[in-house]
Amino acid sequence: MSVFDSFFQPRSVAVIGASSDPDKVGYAVLRNALYGTIAGPADRGRGFDGKVFAVNAKGADVLGHKSFKTIGDVPEPVDLAVIAIPSQIIPKTVEDCGKRGVKAVVVITAGFSEVGPEGAKLEHEMLDAARRTGVRIVGPNCLGVIAAEKRLNVSFAYETPPVGTISLLSQSGAVCTAMISYAFEEHIGYRHFVSMGDKCDVEDAEVIDYFAADEKTSCIALYVEALKQPRAFYEAARRASRKKPFVVIKVGRTAAGAKAASSHTGSIAGSDAAYEAAFRQAGVQRARTLPGFIDAARALSSQPLPRGKRICVLTNAGGPGVITADTLYDLGLELVKLRPETIEKLNPHCPSSWSHGNPADIIGDAGPERYREALRIINQADEVDGIVLLMTQQSMTQPMKIAEAIVDVIPELRKPVTASFIGQGGEDAENFLEERGVPEFEFPERAAEAMAALCTRAEIVRRQREEV
Amino acid sequence: MSTKDILSEAIKTGRENLGGGECRSIFAEAGIPMNASTFAKTRDEAAAAGDQIGYPLVMKIVSPQVVHKTEAGGVKLGIRKREELVAAWDEMMKQVRAHHPDAHIDGVTIDEQLGGVELIVGSTRDPQFGPLIMFGLGGIFVEVYKDVTFRLVPITKGDALEMIEEVKGKPVYQGARGLPKARPEELASILVGVSKLVQENPAIRELDLNPLVVTPKGVRAIDARILVDVTAK
Repeated sequence: MSVFDSFFQPRSVAVIGASSDPDKVGYAVLRNALYGTIAGPADRGRGFDGKVFAVNAKGADVLGHKSFKTIGDVPEPVDLAVIAIPSQIIPKTVEDCGKRGVKAVVVITAGFSEVGPEGAKLEHEMLDAARRTGVRIVGPNCLGVIAAEKRLNVSFAYETPPVGTISLLSQSGAVCTAMISYAFEEHIGYRHFVSMGDKCDVEDAEVIDYFAADEKTSCIALYVEALKQPRAFYEAARRASRKKPFVVIKVGRTAAGAKAASSHTGSIAGSDAAYEAAFRQAGVQRARTLPGFIDAARALSSQPLPRGKRICVLTNAGGPGVITADTLYDLGLELVKLRPETIEKLNPHCPSSWSHGNPADIIGDAGPERYREALRIINQADEVDGIVLLMTQQSMTQPMKIAEAIVDVIPELRKPVTASFIGQGGEDAENFLEERGVPEFEFPERAAEAMAALCTRAEIVRRQREEV
Repeated sequence: MSTKDILSEAIKTGRENLGGGECRSIFAEAGIPMNASTFAKTRDEAAAAGDQIGYPLVMKIVSPQVVHKTEAGGVKLGIRKREELVAAWDEMMKQVRAHHPDAHIDGVTIDEQLGGVELIVGSTRDPQFGPLIMFGLGGIFVEVYKDVTFRLVPITKGDALEMIEEVKGKPVYQGARGLPKARPEELASILVGVSKLVQENPAIRELDLNPLVVTPKGVRAIDARILVDVTAK
C-alpha cells in the first residue's frame, strides 16, 4: 500500500484539534469528516464512509462525539491524521502520530517557513520529526484533502464536491473552495482533491504519479504558483500525460503576478518561459484563466477526443453561430465546409431558409425533433471531428425538450460535443445536460474553448504516438 | 583546441566571454554550420583568404585590446573584390592604430558575407529548470517581436520540429514571397546539436547563434557568443 492510499483511501481518520467552537478550523474539519458539510445537516450517512476519531487536548466531547486527548490514546489504527492546532505544538504532534503508526498527515495550520525564520525553524523540527518516525506530510498552510468516492472530506471547504473523475492538486486553498462551488453549479465531479499548501514534504510530482496510476482518475488538474523540484515535476508530468489528460494553470506569468506569488507563499516563481517550455514538452495543457482551466478539465473528463480540428457549429440562431465561428478560428480550429451529401441529409428536417452550411443554423423555430435529427446527421458526417451545439432561448423554444432530444443521441455519439444554452430560462435543461455528461457552458466562446482543449489533447496524443 | 580544453582554459583564467575563434571551434565540433571564415596575419594572407572564400566578405580586426571593433574602425562590410580588400586592410590598420595606439594587432578574420532572413538559436540557464534552448526570429526582430519559443534541454528531434512550427513569423523562413526556405531537418539538427552541446558542457552558461541566416545553400550562423560559468568545475 502506497502512503498515498493512506491520504486518499484511508479506512480511518483522526482530526487533531477537533473543536465544538464554530470559529475554529478544527470544527469545520471534524464536521466535514463526519457529515460532509460545515453548515448542513448532521447526517453521518453523508460523511466519511470509515471511522472518524476526534482528538482534542481537553478530551471533552466534540459535536456529541467522544474525543481523545492525544493521538496515542486512539484505541484503533489510524490511516490519516489531519492537524489543525497551533503551529508550536505540531512537531511534537507529528512525532506522536508517527509513534502511533500513522503514516499520512495533513497539516492545515499556517505559520511555518512562510512567516520568517522562527516559522522556518519550526518547519524544520516538524520535518525532522516526520522523517524520524516515517510520516509523510501534506501542507502546511493548506485547506485539506477530499476524496469524494468514500465521501472523505478532511478540509475546511464548505462542502464535499460531487463524485467524478477529475483529480485536482492545488497550491491555493481558496482556488480549491472556488472549484468546489463551481462543481455544484456546473455539475462537475471530482475524484481526489488535494490542497498542497506550502509543500514542505509531499511535492506535486509524487501526487501526480499517484493520480496517473489511479484508474478512476480520467483527468489531472493542477493549480500551481511555484514548484520546489521543477525537474521532478517535469518528469512526473511527462509520464502522467502519456496516460491521461493533464491540465495546468500556472499563475505568476507576468512580472506583477510573479511578485504577488512570491509574497503569497514565500516561494520564488520561476521564469515563465521555462514553465511554458516544460508544460509543452511534458504534454501538459496550460489554461490561462480559471474558467478555461475548469472548462478544459470538464471537457477532457467527459468527452471522447476528436480525430482532427474540423468543427461543426449546430445552432438555432445566426449571431451566436458567428461568434463561435470567430472564436474557433482564433483558437486555430477549422470551421469545416459541410459536404453536399450532409447538406442533402439535413434538408428534409429543416425549413428551406436554414443556412445550408456551417454554422448549421437550423432556424429559431427548431424543436427537439429537428435538433435530434441534425445532431445525428452531423455526428455521422465524416468531415466533422467535433460539434459545438448552441441553443438560444426564443419564444417558441422548448429548452428542456431539446436537451432531452440531445441526450437521446448521446449513445450514438462518436465525436465530442460541447454545448451552450445561451441566455436565461433554460436552467433545468442546462442541469439536465450537465448531469448527463454533456459539458454545457454559459457562453458560446467557452464551449468553443472547451472544444479547443479537446483538440489540443488529441494533438498531444498524436505527437506522443509519433515519438514511439 | 577541443571544446573541453577551451572551456577549462577559460575557467582557469576566469574569462567569461569566449573569443570568436573559440566559439567557431566549439560550434564546428558540435556540427553547427557557420559561414566560412579564415584568420589572416598579413595583408597578403588576407588577400589570399579573400580569393579562397569568395566575395562579398567581411573583414574584422583581431586584437585582445580592441573590444568594440566597429567603433575603432575594425569592421569592414561588403568588400566586393581583391582591390577593395587590400584598401580595406590599409584603412583598418590606420584607424585601429589611431583609436588604440598601444594595441597589439594579431591580424584580421576574413568572413564570408551572407544575407537573408535572420534566425536565432540560444541557450540560457533557468534558476529552477536548468538549461533552456530558444529558437525564433533573430537579428533586430528578437528584441522587437520576441517571437521565440523555448524548451528544456535536452530536446528530441520531435521537440525541435515543434519549435520550428511554433514561431508566429515562421512563413519568413518557410519560403514566403520567394524567400529562401530553411529545411526543417536542417534547423532541427542545429537545435538538437546545440541542446547536446549545452547538456554535455555545464560550463556553458549562455550561448547565442545570432543571426543564423537562411541562404539558398542552407542555414549558416554568422555570429556566435558563448558565456562561460567560470565557477564551474
